[in-house]
Order: sequence, then C-alpha cells, then structure tokens
Amino acid sequence: MTTPSNLAIHIKGLSKTYKTGFWFKPKITHALNNLTLDVYEKEAFGLLGLNGAGKTTAIKIILGFLAPTAGSVQVLGGKISDREVRNQIGYLSELPYFSRQHTGRELLEYFGSLHGLSGSKLHRRVDEVLELVRMSKASREKVSGYSKGMLQRIGIGQALIGKPKLLICDEPMSGLDPVGYKEMRDIFIDLKKMGTTLFLNTHIMDEVERVCDRIGILHGGQLREVASVSDILQSSVHVDYWVDVDSQDASRLAGTPFQKSIAENGGVQITGSSLSETLNLLNQRQVKTKGLRPLSSVMEAYFLKSIAGQSSTESGRASK
Amino acid sequence: MRRIFCVAQFTFRELIRSNMLYIWFLSVVVFSALAFLLSILSFGEVQKIFMDLGLVGMEFSGLLVLILSLAVTYNTEFDQKAIYLQLAKPITRGEYLLGRVFGFFSIISLVIIGMGLFIAGLVTLVGGGQVPVLFVYSTLFLLIEMFVLTTLGLTFQMIGTSMVGVVLYTMFTIFLGHGMGQVDWLLNQKLAPTVKTMLRIVHFLLPNLEAFNLKDRIYDPNLVLGWTQWQEVLLYAFAYSFVVFLIGWINLEKREFM
Repeated sequence: MTTPSNLAIHIKGLSKTYKTGFWFKPKITHALNNLTLDVYEKEAFGLLGLNGAGKTTAIKIILGFLAPTAGSVQVLGGKISDREVRNQIGYLSELPYFSRQHTGRELLEYFGSLHGLSGSKLHRRVDEVLELVRMSKASREKVSGYSKGMLQRIGIGQALIGKPKLLICDEPMSGLDPVGYKEMRDIFIDLKKMGTTLFLNTHIMDEVERVCDRIGILHGGQLREVASVSDILQSSVHVDYWVDVDSQDASRLAGTPFQKSIAENGGVQITGSSLSETLNLLNQRQVKTKGLRPLSSVMEAYFLKSIAGQSSTESGRASK
Repeated sequence: MRRIFCVAQFTFRELIRSNMLYIWFLSVVVFSALAFLLSILSFGEVQKIFMDLGLVGMEFSGLLVLILSLAVTYNTEFDQKAIYLQLAKPITRGEYLLGRVFGFFSIISLVIIGMGLFIAGLVTLVGGGQVPVLFVYSTLFLLIEMFVLTTLGLTFQMIGTSMVGVVLYTMFTIFLGHGMGQVDWLLNQKLAPTVKTMLRIVHFLLPNLEAFNLKDRIYDPNLVLGWTQWQEVLLYAFAYSFVVFLIGWINLEKREFM
C-alpha cells in the first residue's frame, strides 16, 4: 500500500467487532465500521463523537493496542509496529496513570530513555519539556501529590519527550478544571505552531473550534463526515439564540418560523443561521432587544445536526 | 539492551518505593526473635538453628516480595492502564517484559542476599562458627529458583485477567512446584496408566522447585555438588525460564488492550 508522503495517518476500511456474552448467545458489537480517514502532516485533526462512538477504539487500533477485524492503518508512512515509527509518535491516554512512587522528572526521564535518549541530552530534553508543560517547579515532587491538571500536563510531557511528529491524544481535556483546560489548550496551540501533527479525540467543541483545522464526526462506529473547521464556522448551520425583549415585543416574534419558545418575562429563544441573520430578523420585526446570546456554538450545532437522525443519542455504539 | 535496563531500573525503583524492603526488615526481626528463642531452648545447636531458620526466612521473604510485587504492579500496569503509555513508546513488548523480569529479580535478590548476609553475620558473630559453603550454595540455588518463579509470575501477569488470578496461579504453582518430590515418588508407584500420564504432564509443565532445594541438605555429609550438578540446575532453570518467558512474550504481543 503506497500513501502520499504528506499523510500522517492513513486509515482504510477499518472495522472492529467485539464479541461478548456466552458462546451460544454471543452479542456482537460493531465498535468501528469501515472507517476510512486521512490525517495530513502538520494539521490538527479532531475526531468527534459521543461516548461509545468508537473514537478510543480507533486510537487504540492506530497505536497497535487492538487488532482490527478488517482494514489497515499506516502511521507516518509505516506500520505502528516499527520502532522508528513509534519513535516519532507521542500518545496521551485519557486520564493517564503513572506509578505514584516517582517524581514528575523521573517519569519524564524514564519515558525519554525509552526513546533512546541518555545523559545530558536526556536531561536537557526533560528540562525543555517541563518548561513547555509548565511543570518545572513541581518536577521534583512525587506524582502521588499531583492534581488532575498536573497529571495531565506530565502526561502530555511524556508524550512530547521524544519530539514527536505526530501527537495522539485521547480526551486530553477530560476532568480538567477551567484553568487546566486553558493551559492544555495553550499547549496544543503552541505545538501546532511548532508544526506537530495533532490527532485529538474529544467531545469538547470549544477545544475543537480553537485548536483543530479539520474534524471528523464518528457516530455508531461510522464516520459521518469530515470537514474543515473554518468551513463549519462559516456554514449556515442553525444556532439557537436567546433574545431578551419586552413581553410586548416578544409577541411580535410569535408564530415566526424561527421562534421556538417564549418565556413569561419576555425572553425569546429563536433559531438563526448566523448572528447577522438573527439581527436582521429582529430589525424586520422592529423588536427592541435588550440582550442576545447564543445558546450553543456553531460547532456544537453542526455536530448535533450531523449525528441527528440516529435512533439512540445516549450511546453512539451500534450493536445487534 | 539499554531499554531493557531502563525498564528494569524503573521497576526496581517503583518496588523499592512501594515499601517492599519492609518485608526484608520484618523478616529479619521475626527471624531474629525466633532464632534467639529457639537457641535458648536448644543445646549447642545455635548455628544450625540460625541457618535452618534463616534459609526458610529467606525463601519466605523472597516469595512474599514476589507475590506482593505482582499484585502491586498488576494494579498499576493493567487495572490503571499505566502500561499503555509505555507500550506506545519505541520499545518492543519483549523488551518490556524482560525489563520487568530483571526489575523484579533485582529486588528479590536484594532481599535474599541482604538476609543471607545478616544470617552469616549472626552465625559468625553470635554462634562463633563458620558459615559452611553449602549455605552459600543453598542461597544461590534459592536465587535461581526465584528467577524461575519471577519469570513464571510475570508470565501469569501477561496472561491473567485479574490481580487475584495472577496471585493465585503463582501461589498454586509454588505449592505444586515444591511437591515435585512427591510426584516423583508417585510415579514410581503402581498406578493406573491414565493417572501416571496425568502426573507426567504435571511434572513436565510445572517447575520442579525441589531441584533448587538445598535447604534440608546443608549438613548432609554425602552431598557432593560438582560442576555437573551446577550445570544441570542452571540449564534446567534457564530452559524453563526461557520457555515460560516466550509464552509470556507471545501472550503480551497478542494481548488486546480494551
């Protein structure tokens, strides 16, 4: 299989089926169904999906932790089993766990040594990474005393220790507080500027909007669509807005195709394709607005629209 | 080779900091108390008591460190999934497993040799005697046995799906492995062919830990331990550990991390 040289990940017809239950009555779960996807070098790609959509399964197959039922994966032009390929990959698992008996620095030294670094080269790289993930001060403390955010930053540190060309992260913002979330997002933006290819598996829309160049939406183990973030942000996807108006004005919006609900105190929820369209509508109706705020982001609306129509919204996993 | 050393060093440090050396300390205290108590009750057999009890204590503490280390690291590596981040690095699964074996064996060796030196010191200083060379040989045989059991325990860790399972398989194997003398005896008795076949299979599959047991024979005047016997023991230990390691390696290669 030959792949263009600018592809970081090339996935073709990937499927994964799990068999659970008793042998005489097996339950077959299709975690992934014929996934075909290309991720280009130096881009930030976000794989979106509900819980159980197959995002983690896809990452585990890319990294060689799971064997696919069908299909193939090429990473940086080679097989994941090649040492040289893995030397150029960084991986951060969801809620990474480390031996609690080591300090952050010791962990990075260990992971660096697995990348073949040693001596002063290793120590220099550890210092650089600690600086990058803003953990220099706490680096000599034991991991057992770290907060969730600090653990996540050491996690990203170990992923970056080998100067990876490709960074694969599974729910990197999981469980982070707003400060930790912002710090992680800033790290990703820095990495993107440095030319690292990012493959993020997430369901946090804000992260996607600010970090990613393209997204893929996975639902029920199937890829629903792939789109560029800038195209989505300029698209005419309908977003709900909450408009604060007097109750008298609210009645003028009643019955319009955009109006969704009216609150007793005068608030109106309306659906508009964009902010300008919404403002035009309000002007046409001569409604005096006291305030206006979007109830969801364009990305979120796009995502929900994309997965709409599925029978189950609780779980994205298909089973039979 | 360097990566194997790194994994071994990391494992060793992890186990040391998991307070495994408290087992050594506890064993020394219990052993000392028992040895002094028994030496008061016995007449002129102080050295013998020190050495007999010491060898049992060495084996017991070595096994305890092995079992606890398997339990602690199973939880960290598999239940908490710390292994994911390591296997995503440019290291083969075989290198990872071999590094773990050496890391485990290092701490077990530290405990056994530490206790051996303590006993040798007691025999020399308190008992006023000399440490027989067979005591040293017995300690070395114990170390060889521990290497076999470490490889076996870690292979169970690669195959097992729960911490309890891994611990039970290992303990069961240790128990049966020490009963190989009885299996040998049974094989020499008149038994049904099917029973004999089953016993032969057990004998073939499980490690013959009696081959490493010199504890009961350090005062045996007829015991001759030449190069041939050493070769046999080393060859058996190496061959058994190698096959078991291969099984563990293949299982780790095939293992799916859900």
